[in-house]
Amino acid sequence: MRCRAWLAVALILSIPLAYAAETGYTLRAAELKAKPFLDAETVTTLPEKSQVEILIRQGAWMQIKTKENRQGWVRMLSVRLGDPDQKTRGGNLLSAISSVRQRPVMTATVTTGVRGFSEEDLAKATPNPAEVAKMKGFTASPASARQLADKGKLKPRQIVYFDENGASLKEKK
Amino acid sequence: MRPARMALVLLLALGGCSLQQSEAFMRNINESGGLKQTVKDLREPTQAEEIEIGGGVTEILLGARPLFDDADLQRYVNAVGMWVAQQSERPDLPWHFGVNDSDHINAFAAPGGYIIVTKGMMKQLRNEAELAGVLGHEIAHVIQKHHLKALRKSAVMNLLSAGAAAATAESRYAELVQKLSGPTKELYARGLDKADEYEADRMGVVLATRAGYDPYGLPAVLTTLASADPKDNFLALLYKTHPLPQDRLDKLAPGLTTLDTIQGPQNLPRFQLYTKKLRVASQ
Repeated sequence: MRCRAWLAVALILSIPLAYAAETGYTLRAAELKAKPFLDAETVTTLPEKSQVEILIRQGAWMQIKTKENRQGWVRMLSVRLGDPDQKTRGGNLLSAISSVRQRPVMTATVTTGVRGFSEEDLAKATPNPAEVAKMKGFTASPASARQLADKGKLKPRQIVYFDENGASLKEKK
Repeated sequence: MRPARMALVLLLALGGCSLQQSEAFMRNINESGGLKQTVKDLREPTQAEEIEIGGGVTEILLGARPLFDDADLQRYVNAVGMWVAQQSERPDLPWHFGVNDSDHINAFAAPGGYIIVTKGMMKQLRNEAELAGVLGHEIAHVIQKHHLKALRKSAVMNLLSAGAAAATAESRYAELVQKLSGPTKELYARGLDKADEYEADRMGVVLATRAGYDPYGLPAVLTTLASADPKDNFLALLYKTHPLPQDRLDKLAPGLTTLDTIQGPQNLPRFQLYTKKLRVASQ
């Protein structure tokens, strides 16, 4: 029986870190869509502060699952990560310990060992020209940038800047 | 007194100079070629001068916290940054990117194309599209000369209150920068106007999208930040110098929806490869 318990623990610990789910909630009433398109069928309308588990992130959309196990897509802009009743990002213990991104956990009172960039660090700073020279040593040429783009299947597009209302700007701002 | 002189004396008076000091300053100005010459020295910097100023600013930023020790990561961030910068109106600037060894979450742009992202920020990013979004935002600051303009404002005030020593026909902007160490530190501790940040968000999203990335990279980063504890020490300077992430998302929403149908790669595997060391690096 002990062996089975250990097997269960081993199983839980072996879950790949990359697949830990994020949790969140809706910022306002949001339409749950069958597919990640604005004109897709609406499955239902989720009320504000509905808790959701985020399964996939795809551009403007998130595939989510509700507490009632309804699944569908909502716009990223309608969702905030974490628990609606907590200021900090929550989720179950498993997702907290296995999150790919390390959430900053240190509070303002714990400062030992932290390499910061605070106002004080800035105020005390003396210029470091050697470090700037070092930084310049890593500069990428436009050609090597292009190589990175090609390898990463990045196809350049013509897109116009937009203003605060979302309207296209005719010329460079 | 001619109107221009009067205005200048008034300005100096506002700045706290006595009438005697103002008169002395006006004498100095006359000796160095007159008011016209002084104003001419305060013309917009040339590109070379802009880059010099930026170099001086970056010396201070890297003086506060040096680069993170990972050459492959530095080169990768430079390649992504240079690719996004190539989509801008100033592709020929000598763009330089760096990841510094700070656990705090932040990113900085300096005039002339110097951009620094903290290790803490890199750790919060989930893929290359998010990195491109953050870099796009910083590149936009440089394109729009936000920091340069803010520093120049300080330079004008400094010149006016410092007097003749600075008002020579040969004022080199690099020298101005040395005198601007204080204003530089103040600017990066205080931040830019909110309007500049919102503009950098809008332009940054477009630049990353032009580069072929998923337009929702920067919004995804803001979504991550929006859920963090605002009192978190690692976010203190970011929150002091930028509008709230939720406000930034609200401002972006109208333009973002026009890009909804555009998709692009996130390049997760190579992003994870290059960021492996910094995610393992202990605090």
